[in-house]
Amino acid sequence: MANPLLEIDQLSVSLQKRKQTLKAVDNLSLKIYSGEILGLVGESGAGKSMTGSAILGLIDPPLFISSGKIIFEGERIDQNTKNIRGSKISMIFQDPLVSLNPLRRIGDQLVETIITHFDVSKTQAFERAKSLLEEVGIDPSRINAYPHTFSGGMRQRVVIALALAPEPALIIADEPTTALDVSVQAQILDLLKKLAKERGTAIILITHDMGVIAETTDRVAVLYSGRLAEIGKTADVLKDPKHPYTKGLVASTPRIDANSLLEKLFQIPGAMPDLDNIPEGCPFHPRCDFADAQCRKEQPPLFQNRSACWLSKD
Amino acid sequence: MNRFMQSDFFYHFRNTPVAMISFAVFTCIILAAVFANIIAPYNPFDPASLNLMNGFTPPMQANDFTGEVFLMGTDDQGRDLFSTILYGLRISLFVGVMAVALAMVLGVLLGLIAGFLGGWFDVLIMRFADIQMTFPSILVAMLIYGVAKGVLPPDLRYEMSITVLIISIGLSEWVPFARTVRGSTLVEKEKEYIIVAKMIGLNKWQIMIRHILPNVLSPVLVIATITFALAIIAEATLSFLGVGVPTTKPSLGTLIRIGQDFLFSGEWWILLFPAITLLALALSINLFGDWLRDTLNPKLK
Amino acid sequence: MSYVIANQLTRHYDLSDPWIIRQINRRPKNILTAVNHVSFSIEKGEAYALVGESGSGKSTIAKMVSGLLKPSAGSIHIDGHDLNGPILDGKATHSMRQRIQMVFQSPYASLNPRWKIGNIILEPIKSFRLIADEKQQHKRVAELLDQVGLSERDVSKYPHEFSGGQRQRISIARALASQPEIIICDEPTSALDVSVQAQVLNLLKDLQKEFSLTYLFISHDLAVISTMANKIGVLKDGKLVEEADSAELFANPKHEYTKMLLSAAPNIGVYVHSERKS
Repeated sequence: MANPLLEIDQLSVSLQKRKQTLKAVDNLSLKIYSGEILGLVGESGAGKSMTGSAILGLIDPPLFISSGKIIFEGERIDQNTKNIRGSKISMIFQDPLVSLNPLRRIGDQLVETIITHFDVSKTQAFERAKSLLEEVGIDPSRINAYPHTFSGGMRQRVVIALALAPEPALIIADEPTTALDVSVQAQILDLLKKLAKERGTAIILITHDMGVIAETTDRVAVLYSGRLAEIGKTADVLKDPKHPYTKGLVASTPRIDANSLLEKLFQIPGAMPDLDNIPEGCPFHPRCDFADAQCRKEQPPLFQNRSACWLSKD
Repeated sequence: MNRFMQSDFFYHFRNTPVAMISFAVFTCIILAAVFANIIAPYNPFDPASLNLMNGFTPPMQANDFTGEVFLMGTDDQGRDLFSTILYGLRISLFVGVMAVALAMVLGVLLGLIAGFLGGWFDVLIMRFADIQMTFPSILVAMLIYGVAKGVLPPDLRYEMSITVLIISIGLSEWVPFARTVRGSTLVEKEKEYIIVAKMIGLNKWQIMIRHILPNVLSPVLVIATITFALAIIAEATLSFLGVGVPTTKPSLGTLIRIGQDFLFSGEWWILLFPAITLLALALSINLFGDWLRDTLNPKLK
Repeated sequence: MSYVIANQLTRHYDLSDPWIIRQINRRPKNILTAVNHVSFSIEKGEAYALVGESGSGKSTIAKMVSGLLKPSAGSIHIDGHDLNGPILDGKATHSMRQRIQMVFQSPYASLNPRWKIGNIILEPIKSFRLIADEKQQHKRVAELLDQVGLSERDVSKYPHEFSGGQRQRISIARALASQPEIIICDEPTSALDVSVQAQVLNLLKDLQKEFSLTYLFISHDLAVISTMANKIGVLKDGKLVEEADSAELFANPKHEYTKMLLSAAPNIGVYVHSERKS
């Protein structure tokens, strides 16, 4: 395989609470290649957004990167992200209003971004802005409109255009469709797929929704308590999950099906532990039906590049 | 109690020197005032213990005539300044506590009702509050004080002067309470637990008192500490201006006014010690109140 | 006759500027019709779901059925009684209220943070004067907590000591405390994580069987609805565009909008069940 675009190597993000050191992300390793969509899925507090922030260098005190490396295009960026952030790596947030300046026309915001990153004239930048809008499915004649004149879905398209303006190699999309209606969500996800395919942009899609993962991503990484539980091709992971947590997650996701009314949903007992209460050994063991003495004592490594569970050892 | 000792609140307190020092100073002052009759070497309100010959004794110096020594000196009538300050603190603190209590009850109730009921009652209360806020509160207090003094029969004026003082300061400070409580009420009343309370048939008053009130009180605590400092200063100002408590029962403000008369004739201590006490009191309350506000407000964390 | 009958429900909201400003700008009144002549009926013991995107009027209907909001036109009959009828005196309203309870979306805003769990669940029992004896009251609270999968020890805890899913259980226990016949669930699991959502949905299913409850489900999530409701109404812009039995609707949607919703909904089933897409 080609060299990965981005490599996260044994990353830990910690925070100091009184005298305890808590790990929000623990020993996480990931690779992402150009042109693919990698899903980061997990429940709230699993550390998925934190991983996105770490790549962008947006970890603020009291949180800090306590160990590990982040390598982007062969360069370490975990220490200094100033030049990478915003030009080679872009971010899309859940709420489009956070990323847009409500007082400025969308065209101006696009042109400004283009001019800061490329040596072009204002007219050229304006033309580029128009073609960006067209690419994300917005009528280019609306280039002089203000953000509030767009609907939620259209605004998210503007945000994507803005994220594309510096022609990034990697886009991190943190729950980009959670605030949107189902019909609009599907359009935005299709747009992301198109971008990965046509532009060769790598996309990290952070979400809690297994349905979104199933419909959008090429590979998926399942996080639990800040640790990687399972990673692999989306089809493999969803069809044949190896880690008991992934199994539970897949089985407990309601699916649209005429028969599902009769069945009961599979349920995982309990809830994910708080950061200051992560059990020893495998963090999932108190909720796991297969847990044995080893699971309670030792934290499993990732076996066969797939599943961090002692059951997957052989 | 054990839970409190382990709470984030207490941990934060232990790690903020300003909070600890201001709280310690404040506690010392309160204790000194409460136990004034034990700590104070003289009773300044007992004319029998006064000796006019002791007048104007400087601090820590023997009096020329009687040879007595006073920690902070004496005033013109020979009253021991240290004892007078302790007893004066009592009056200042009493007026402050009662005025804040009045302002708090009034403000919380009006704010709660205005926020929950809305409509014309809300408009009426809040516009009145706006108008009152355009005047400095000390002016409002003086106005109420003046009217009350005029209305009261002359023989009651003297006895009632502290009550009148409390009411005038209390009435001049209710607005911040009302505004804050109204704001929190507007947020709280849209929450779903209030809808549930309506669905199980509670009436407006039950919802207001049982459900909303407990949830709008934490900012009130912070405002109360800051208003407490303001009320003590207001009392001192009014007494300094000569409209407050009578000279026979001097508060800190009265003492400062008396001291001011002698500042230029060289008896500096009569002004200085009450002024330092007032400063220490107001400053410690304010610093502690600021810390409390920062700690209890999650947005500033 | 059906247990719940909503007949030509309509609700307007007046979004106009104040009168004086309208006069100056020469603008007419701005009336938004949130719900437009919606009729549906729910049989006793059935779970009916209203599905729609934001602005479809589904929450407004929930509020009208719960009695919190009066319809601008149309009527709601519950067990033959007109919910907003003139015949209802204070006492009848009281007993009508007792029959309908609600479970809300937010596990945070639906419990009073200053109250202990025991008191939260006890409140409807006291308000409706269901049990007078204090000992019996406590027994009842313990029983309710047990029914939703919590323990009697939790009575003296505060809401913040519980996770989101547990808080939804507490909300459900409080709703059950009134011994209602109808529970309106307004997006009860959309703020929860998947594994916890399954727990809460299963609990709602069990309770429905146990107490033969009638559910009105409000949701945007077709997957959740498909596991819960046996009849579904699809709302768009305040109008009911399609209504069918659950199995029929998913197998054979008629209205274009329903078809679009179904194809747009992210569905994990694409991998797990059949190979609908590549």
